Amino acid sequence: MSDLYSYLLVAAIVFTIGAYGIITQRSGIKILMSIELMLNAANINLVAFSSFNGDTAGQVFALFSIAIAAAEAAIGFAILVVLFRVRDTINLDNINILRW
Amino acid sequence: MFSEIAALIVLLPVLAFILTLFLGKRLYSGGALLPIAAIAGSFIISLGVFFEIYPDKTVQQSWPWFAGMNLGILIDPLAIVMLLMVTFVSLLIHIYAVGYMAHDPAKPRYFAETSLFTAAMLGVVLSDNILQFFIAWELVGLCSYLLIGFWYFKPSAAAAAKKAFLVTRVGDVLFLAGIILLYFNISDVISSRAFSLDQGNFILQFRSMFEAAKFIDPSQLTLITLLFFGGAVGKSGQFPLHGWLPDAMEGPTTVSALIHAATMVTAGVYLVARTFPMFAATPVTIAPELHIPDSLLIVAIIGGFTALFAATMGLVMNDIKRVLAYSTVSQLGYMMLALGTAGAIVGAKAVGISLFHLISHAFFKALLFLCAGSVIHAMGTNDIREMGGLSRKMKITATTMLIAALALAGIGIPYLNIGTAGFFSKDAIIEGTFELGMETGGWGWIFYGFAIVAALLTSIYIFRLWFMTFTGTPRSERHPHESPNVMTRPLIILAIFALLFGFMQSGFYLYLEKNFELMGVEIASHESEEALVLPPIVVLMPVIVGVVGFLISYYIYHLKKLNMSRFVSSGNPLYRLLINRYYEPRISADIIGVKLTHNIAAQSGEFVDRKIIDTLIIDNAISNTLFRLGELVRKLQTGVVQNYASVTLLGIFLLVVLLKLTGGI
Amino acid sequence: MAALISLMILIPLIGAIITFLTKTRQQARAVALLSSGISLLISLFLFLSFDSASSSIQFFESYQWIGSLGISLKFGLDGIGMPLVLLSNIVIPLTVLFAWGETKQANQFYGLILLELVGVLGVFSSLDFFVFYIFWEIVLIPMYFLISIWGGPRKDYSAIKFFIYTHVASLVMLLAIFSLYFNAWQISGKPNFDMFYLLENYSLLDGWLLKGIITVKDAIFVALLFGFIVKMPAVPFHTWLPDAHVEAPTAGSVILAALLLKMGGYGLFRVILPILPNSDSPEILITLMAIIGIVSILYGTFLALAQRDLKKMVAYSSIAHMGYVTLGAAALIPLSVSGAMFQQFSHGLITGVLFMSCGVIQHGAGTRIIGDLGGIAKHMPKLAFLMMAGFLASLGLPGMSGFIAEFLVLVNSYFTLPTFVILALFGIVFTAGYHLWAMQRAVFGTFNEKLGHIHDGANYEIASMAVLILLIIFFGLNPNSVLNMMTTNAEHLVRFVALRGVIT
Repeated sequence: MSDLYSYLLVAAIVFTIGAYGIITQRSGIKILMSIELMLNAANINLVAFSSFNGDTAGQVFALFSIAIAAAEAAIGFAILVVLFRVRDTINLDNINILRW
Repeated sequence: MFSEIAALIVLLPVLAFILTLFLGKRLYSGGALLPIAAIAGSFIISLGVFFEIYPDKTVQQSWPWFAGMNLGILIDPLAIVMLLMVTFVSLLIHIYAVGYMAHDPAKPRYFAETSLFTAAMLGVVLSDNILQFFIAWELVGLCSYLLIGFWYFKPSAAAAAKKAFLVTRVGDVLFLAGIILLYFNISDVISSRAFSLDQGNFILQFRSMFEAAKFIDPSQLTLITLLFFGGAVGKSGQFPLHGWLPDAMEGPTTVSALIHAATMVTAGVYLVARTFPMFAATPVTIAPELHIPDSLLIVAIIGGFTALFAATMGLVMNDIKRVLAYSTVSQLGYMMLALGTAGAIVGAKAVGISLFHLISHAFFKALLFLCAGSVIHAMGTNDIREMGGLSRKMKITATTMLIAALALAGIGIPYLNIGTAGFFSKDAIIEGTFELGMETGGWGWIFYGFAIVAALLTSIYIFRLWFMTFTGTPRSERHPHESPNVMTRPLIILAIFALLFGFMQSGFYLYLEKNFELMGVEIASHESEEALVLPPIVVLMPVIVGVVGFLISYYIYHLKKLNMSRFVSSGNPLYRLLINRYYEPRISADIIGVKLTHNIAAQSGEFVDRKIIDTLIIDNAISNTLFRLGELVRKLQTGVVQNYASVTLLGIFLLVVLLKLTGGI
Repeated sequence: MAALISLMILIPLIGAIITFLTKTRQQARAVALLSSGISLLISLFLFLSFDSASSSIQFFESYQWIGSLGISLKFGLDGIGMPLVLLSNIVIPLTVLFAWGETKQANQFYGLILLELVGVLGVFSSLDFFVFYIFWEIVLIPMYFLISIWGGPRKDYSAIKFFIYTHVASLVMLLAIFSLYFNAWQISGKPNFDMFYLLENYSLLDGWLLKGIITVKDAIFVALLFGFIVKMPAVPFHTWLPDAHVEAPTAGSVILAALLLKMGGYGLFRVILPILPNSDSPEILITLMAIIGIVSILYGTFLALAQRDLKKMVAYSSIAHMGYVTLGAAALIPLSVSGAMFQQFSHGLITGVLFMSCGVIQHGAGTRIIGDLGGIAKHMPKLAFLMMAGFLASLGLPGMSGFIAEFLVLVNSYFTLPTFVILALFGIVFTAGYHLWAMQRAVFGTFNEKLGHIHDGANYEIASMAVLILLIIFFGLNPNSVLNMMTTNAEHLVRFVALRGVIT
């Protein structure tokens, strides 16, 4: 029982670190790393609940999620590389093309 | 036989209009023969109908149209004399126009339009109901617009055409208002069961109108008839809607002849004559001492005043056609005066007196215009100051015009009953006004005053015109010549009628007197039993003023014994007033038309539309507020992903706190 | 016999799709003329087999669509819809013919015109409120593109203004339709979008929308009225019209003025008059309509007088003429209502000629500013002739259809709204005034040499105008063919109103 809470606590800490990273960091790479952290926090939760409930479906989802995260990271880095070529920077403060 | 095909009287010229318009280019003389044949056909049919219905029958045909209205034909004595006059005079004018318009490239259009003009006028005359009357009446207005603006490339012609249409339109709207009010009142008396329409009768037929008039509230009846008269004022160029008629001279002279003699302007008089029983049925409240029904009194005052008013302007005009135009306005005033004053004493006979003058006027006025046309054709100018001495070169024109002038001035020999047409027709009117003065006294004499002074002025201006044109020495370097036969023959025919038509007087009066009895309408007459024996001076008076006028003109313009330059100068305020036509064009066009309507009303509307509705309300109030709101919200959109993420997290945090507080979790 | 109406709507729709796919402009205009021509033939057949003595719906068709929401495709015609269906089918082929020389993206141009036909036919014949609304909105989109692609210099502003105005009005109307719908659903427990069913259930609404200010019934009435009079358009919601007309291509203007405006008037007869007696304050609402009508007449007239652009003048004259529709409808006399319906029909024909004249002048002389023209009759005689006829019809000359309509409205409205009729009479002189003034300055007088070489309208342009003029004269002399069916329905409408106890 208490095992679950500790897993969840670890996941929450990891998630918070990730969220903090997204908000405070300016570098695109660091933000992507932070996103990975948040994703993995969710994976920890999935595996923890799966084990707790004795249902393997959660672990399957975690595997999926890891695969998708890899793909997402690849795309994310690709975008950053392109951005760097175009703008000579990956400092996201300067990149506000989402605006309007 | 002719009565069954009476509809053809109108349809033939309509057909000629369509054919000439589209095929005229390929036909002889721009297709002039088509309208001439058609109008001749109309004249023959009218003549046939006349012999069939004389002396006491009428032709009535009626077909239902839309919404309880009908189309129909009513030929009673009043209509048939008009039919004969319109077709006959119009026929002569058309024949004359073959010569007069010979060199105009737009002949097909001209003949098509005059044909339609005649058709519309015949439609007015034939109508058996007031709606159809109004429709034909409007078509007359349209044709006058088209014909006055016939030389549309002249700005003055385009402007005059527009003025003619608009000024008569003012009258037409009054007329329409009268019809609306009449329809309402007849419906009202029908629904209150005081009156019911006979089988086969329609609500706006003249017959129904006269029958229903007895039940209509008198004040409403006065209003209806005055509104009708408003229409007549517009069409017949009575004061204050007279301004368009002199301007209408911008069209070809033959058109002026048509407008002034056969068609259009007589329509107004015909309207009052046609609805005379309703005018006569209005109550006597304004001037009880005169025994004149209210509406007829107004008709008489306007008519009498116009007769005098227009004659004063005729004295100073230098454009030959314009003098004649004012003369028309003045003579129409006489006809209105006859309807108004004689209506009080002799009842239904007034229609005969007025119509007799109308028809004799048609002959001599058509003649005057055609002679003027002949002169203009020869001289190439309208200005009588550039003419003079033409009688040697244009004998027929000069003689026929002199006959017409004598007829207009009403010259004849009293007691022997010999004289021109105008002598018989105008004297009857003047004597009628005298009788009224005798019977009522007081300000009843005013009408006699109008009539007799106007008669003097008439004589002066028409002989001034004649002397300045035909006698003396030529005042310009032109080589006039007599017009071709196709133009002079109609002049001679018209001159014969202008001379001899007067002798039909008593028969004419008798025939028309019965007109409304045939419809079953009684019009009270106040004539005393024993015929009033007029003192000799009264009988002689009209001729005396005619001769005096002639002598004055002879003295001034032929013998040139009096130097007029002191009077004819811009320093003389009276002359300025007259030559500027009492400033009527300036008032109607500049002040009412341009300043009041366009500059003030229309432009302020434009201001409201653009500046207030569009700019202030739509742009500033609604649109700008929305835009500002948008700007405000837009500021939140920084475009930096981290800001969005922070806000999202903050939102989740708040949501959790909120759920915690409300006990949701 | 069956399914003729849906066929009549489907054929232009299919035609529009084919037109969009065609490669050359010759193909495009041929397809457009053919499909609108077939549609015209069908509507002529419907018109000739229409029973004018019956006020009920004829040629009724019904198909299930979305049963769970009570939406079905219902089509049918009565004396209100039939003349307008005929009018639409007359105007569209003539517009295609008039625009025969269009070169810019011709396939899209003709396709959009056909889509307009689909839209207006749907509006005038559908009896399901939801479907009615869909067609109502369908009409907007092609017109937006017609203005914004083929329009003049300020086309974007005008197109957006047109769209926003009419769309906002439509949305307000949609709100009212929904409240009628949910009200009826609540009462019967069954969803149903049938138009007559919803209008009948209007009387069962109750309560205040804003306590002491406006009741639910009146609010719905005003919302519906708003939806319709913006389309008509009536003062003060009219300013989109002159802008739209000035920028729209000629074909767009013709359709806009001849057909789109009629949708508003149609709404008055189809929706507004039947629910009028059941509203909470019919007298006030009638007066409101009469005021809107008379203000439109006079205001439109004076504004027309102030215009320098010929087309803008014609646009304002439309506002004035549509005022007669509102006035006649508000008077609630059988013949005034049918006069108002006839005014819709007649104005559709007349305004077509007027806008076509403006188009020919713009095309031939290069400008529409009245002051810059002058004496063009000399070089454009055919146009001058037809334009003169159109202007005369527009100023209400007897013998042409406009007179019949205005005469009926004025004469019969006098019974219930005498003051308004007297005011309207003042407008007549000024109406003649601006028409003739414009003619005098633009068409007559000496030729303005600055215009250079100008040319008369092309044969196809002149032909389509001539057909319209002939129709105007035909219906001016023989109004009964359409007037009878209008009168039948107007009597039905007014009897219905009188039964509910509204005698003004």
